[in-house]
Amino acid sequence: MAVRLQYATRIFPIFNLTKLHRAFSTSSCLKSDKPLKDSDVIAVESLNKSKYPSVKESKFSDELIYEQPFIITDISGVPEEHIKERLVRIAKAPKNAMQSGTNNTNVWVLQFDTRQRWENNLIGWVSSGDPLSNLQLHFNTLEEAIAFCKKNCYPYFIEQEKSIAPKKKSYAYNFSWNKRTRVSTK
Amino acid sequence: MLRSSIQKAAKVSRRCVHIGNTNKAAVAKPSAEQTLLEVYIDDKKVLVEPGTTVLQAAALVGVEIPRFCYHERLAIAGNCRMCLVEIEKSPKPVAACAMPVMNGWRVKTNSEMTRKAREGVMEFLLVNHPLDCPICDQGGECDLQDQSMAFGSDRSRFTDIDFSGKRAVEDKDIGPLVKTIMTRCIHCTRCIRFASEVAGVDDLGTTGRGSDMQVGTYIEKMFLSELSGNVIDLCPVGALTSKPYSFTARPWETRKIESIDVLDAVGSNIVVSTRTNEVMRILPLLNEQVNEEWLADKSRFSYDGLKTQRLAFPMVKFDSGELKAVEWEDTLKHAAQALNNANGQIVGIAGPLVDAEALIAFKDLLNKLGSEHVYTENAFPLSGSGIDIRASYLFNSKIVGIEQADLVLLIGTNPRYDAPLINTRIRKSYVHNELDVALIGPKIDLTYDYEHLGNSASTVKDLISGSHPFNKRLAQAKKPLIILGAQQLKRSDGAALLAAVQQLAKKTAEISKVDASWKVFNLLQEAASQVAALDLGYKPGISNLKSLPAKVLYLLGADDSDVLKESIPTDTFVIYQGHHGETGAELADVIFPGVTYTEKQGTYVNTEGRAQQTLNAVTPPGYARTDWKILRALSEIAGKTLEYETLQEVRKRLEEVSPNLTSYGNVQESNFIAQATELSKSVKNNLESKPIDLKLKKLEDYFMTDVISRSSVTMSKCIQAVLKQKQNKYYDGVEK
Repeated sequence: MAVRLQYATRIFPIFNLTKLHRAFSTSSCLKSDKPLKDSDVIAVESLNKSKYPSVKESKFSDELIYEQPFIITDISGVPEEHIKERLVRIAKAPKNAMQSGTNNTNVWVLQFDTRQRWENNLIGWVSSGDPLSNLQLHFNTLEEAIAFCKKNCYPYFIEQEKSIAPKKKSYAYNFSWNKRTRVSTK
Repeated sequence: MLRSSIQKAAKVSRRCVHIGNTNKAAVAKPSAEQTLLEVYIDDKKVLVEPGTTVLQAAALVGVEIPRFCYHERLAIAGNCRMCLVEIEKSPKPVAACAMPVMNGWRVKTNSEMTRKAREGVMEFLLVNHPLDCPICDQGGECDLQDQSMAFGSDRSRFTDIDFSGKRAVEDKDIGPLVKTIMTRCIHCTRCIRFASEVAGVDDLGTTGRGSDMQVGTYIEKMFLSELSGNVIDLCPVGALTSKPYSFTARPWETRKIESIDVLDAVGSNIVVSTRTNEVMRILPLLNEQVNEEWLADKSRFSYDGLKTQRLAFPMVKFDSGELKAVEWEDTLKHAAQALNNANGQIVGIAGPLVDAEALIAFKDLLNKLGSEHVYTENAFPLSGSGIDIRASYLFNSKIVGIEQADLVLLIGTNPRYDAPLINTRIRKSYVHNELDVALIGPKIDLTYDYEHLGNSASTVKDLISGSHPFNKRLAQAKKPLIILGAQQLKRSDGAALLAAVQQLAKKTAEISKVDASWKVFNLLQEAASQVAALDLGYKPGISNLKSLPAKVLYLLGADDSDVLKESIPTDTFVIYQGHHGETGAELADVIFPGVTYTEKQGTYVNTEGRAQQTLNAVTPPGYARTDWKILRALSEIAGKTLEYETLQEVRKRLEEVSPNLTSYGNVQESNFIAQATELSKSVKNNLESKPIDLKLKKLEDYFMTDVISRSSVTMSKCIQAVLKQKQNKYYDGVEK
C-alpha cells in the first residue's frame, strides 16, 4: 500500500546533512563520540536506489509517494538501544479526573516506556539517562502516530479508545414521585 | 483552553452534524428520524432525542459549555448558573444543564448575552473566593481558575481593600483522606450529590442560606464511605483536596502513567502521578466498562504503602538465624542449589498481587524442576468442572451487565468492601433502573435496600427446590443475576456451595425465561491475580499444604499468615519473592526482592476476565527486580533455562497458554456454562448448616487487606478515624 508522506519535503533537507547528523544527536550514550567513517555516511542516491526503490513523483510537485513505509532510523542518529528496546504506547489522551474540560482529550498521545531513574549522588536530585521517557508526542489521528512509530522503527502498542456511554438525564428526575432518583434535600 | 474549543467549534460551523457522525454520540441513535428534535447550536444543526438537555446537545457538536455544578455522572442540580446560554427569542438566558431542548431552538453559546451572563456569574463566584491559588492544591487543575481565565472579566470591581467583607468559612474535619478548605467552596453541591447518589451515604449537606450557606456534615463527623476520595476529584475548586497529597506536588510537574489497580479484582483503571521517582498520587482513569470515573479509597490512598516495608535487597538467612543482605548472584546460587537438591519436591504458592508474566515464569520453572505443585492462595473447588471451564470462575455478565439486570442475588459477598466499584454499579442500577437486590449472608449495610434471605447456605437449596418464597421474585425477573463471593469457596463445603449456586443459576434462567445470551451466574473474585492464575492452570487453594511433600517452599508474594505459619515444617527451605516484608518474608530462608504494580509492566486479569496491563511508573527501590526476570535468572542458574528473555517473548508464551491473557482491554466471552452446570451435578450436594460469614463486614475491615495497604500509614489512620467516629455519641449506631 502506498504510504503518502506528508512531510517528505521537510525531511529531505536532512539528507544533505548526513555527515552532521551525529553532531546533532541527543543520545545520552557515549557511542556517538566515535569519529565518523566514510561507510557511516549514506548517500542520498544509494538510499533512493537500494532501500527505497519505489519512490515516485506524485502529481503534487512538492510531495513524494513511497510504496514502502519511509524509514529514517538509518540517518536519524538515534542509537539502537533507543529504538529496538523501546516500547511505545499510543493512546487517546485521557480526561483529567480532576477537571471537567475535555478539549485536551482530542489528541492521540505517544509515550515511551519509563526507564530507570536514580538519585544523583551529587545533589540528591533524581536523574535519568533516558531522553525519551519525558517526551510526549501529540498526534491528531491514530494513523499519524502509527506512521511516526513505523518511520522510526519503534515497537508500539495501541491502547483501545475508551468510549463514553450514553446517559439520559433530566432535572425532573430529582422530583419524580415514583423513582429512586428523587432527592429530599441537599 | 476553553476559549480555543469555541474557536475550534466555530471552524466547523455551517456544517450540519448528525448524531451518527460524531464519536461523542451521547444519545443512542433512534430508529425513526421523525422522533428527533432539530436544534441549532451556534448555527450548527444537531438532531437529538426529546429530553436531551441543551448542554448535552451542544456537546454532540463539540461545543463545550462551561459548568461547575453539572457532572455527567450525578443528578442535575442547576445551581451554579455558569452554563447560562442565550436561546433565540428567549428574553432571559437559560441554564443549559437543566433545560431540555425544544424543536427548532437556536442556541447561542458565544453571543453577547451569554458572555455577559458568564462574566457576571464568574464575578459573583470570585467575590467570595479567596485569592490563594498560589498555595492551593487544586492550582493548575482547577475549573474555577481555568474558567475565570476563559470567561471571567479582565478586571475586578471588588473594592473591599480593608478585607472586611470577604466570606470566610470554618474548615470541617471529615476524616484523614479529604482535606477541606471551605472558604474556597462555591456551593456546586457535587460532593453532596456524590455522597447521596453514588456513595449512598447521606453525610454531606448544606446549612444556611445565601452567603451564609455552608457545605458540611452539620455536626462534625467523618465522611464514612469507602469512596470518599472521589469528592476530591469532583470538587471543581480547591475546597476538597487530598490530605495525603497536600502540598507535595503540582499537577504540571508530575508524569502521568496510565495503569491498573490491583488491590481488588475489579481492575480499576488508574493514572499514577509520579515525580522524583516517587508515586505522588493515584487518580481514576475513565473506563465505562470497569470503574466509570470512580476509584475506591484503598486503591487511591494506599500508595504510601508502596514506599514502606519494602524488600530492597536479596537476602539469605544465615546459620545464626539472621537474614542478611547478599549479592544477587550469591542469593540466586543459594536458592538454585536448594531447588536442585529438592528432587522435584517443590511447592510454589502465588499470592494475590502477582502479574501473569511472573505467574507463567513461576509455573514453567517449577514444572521444569519436576514439580506440579503450583498453587494460588485463594481457594476454588476442583470438583465438578473445576477450573476447566472459565465460566465457573468469572463474573460472566461483566460489570456493565449489572446495569441491565433487574434482580441481583448476592450470596456470601459484600460487594461494598470486596469490590466497591461493583457495588457502585449495583447502586447505580438500584437508583436509576429500579434494580432489586437480595442477600444471603450476614446483615450488612450495602448503601441500598435489599431483601435479606438469612445467612444460611441451605437457603440456596430451598431456592433450587422452589420452596422458598423468594422463588416467586426470581421467576418474575427478566434479567436476574446471581453473584457468589469467592471467599465462600474456602468453606469446607465450598464445592457443594459452588455447585448449588450454579444449579440455582440454571434454574433461575429457566424459570424466568431469560435470553440465551444472558449469563446468570457470576463469581466475584477477591484477588487481582486469581483469574490469570486459574487461566494458566494453577491449582487453587493451599488448605492441604501440610500434606504436600515440600522440601522447598517457594512463595511468590504469598503472605497468607493464617495458613503459612502453622503448616510449614521446620526443615522446609522457604524462598520468598515479593515486594513487602511480611509473613512470607519472615518465614523465608532466601528473599528475592520483587516489584509492586507501579514498577512493572504486567498483565492482570480482573474478575470479568478482562486482561489489562499496568505500566512502569517508577523505578523499584534498591536491588528489587521485575518478578519474571528474577525467575528467568534463577532458571538459568538452576540449569533449567526458561525460553524467554524479553517481555514480548514472555507474552508470546502467555498467549500460547491462554490467548485471552494478551488481548488487552477485552473480555473473552465465557461459554460452556451449561456444561459447567451439568458437571456440577456430580458434586455431592451436602451444604453444611453453619451460617455464611463475610470477611469484610464493616468499613474498618476494608482498609487493610493486602501487603500494600497493610503497610500504608494512611490506611491505618483511616481505620483509627472510623473507630473513633463510632465512639462518637452522635454516631447513629447503624453500620455505615
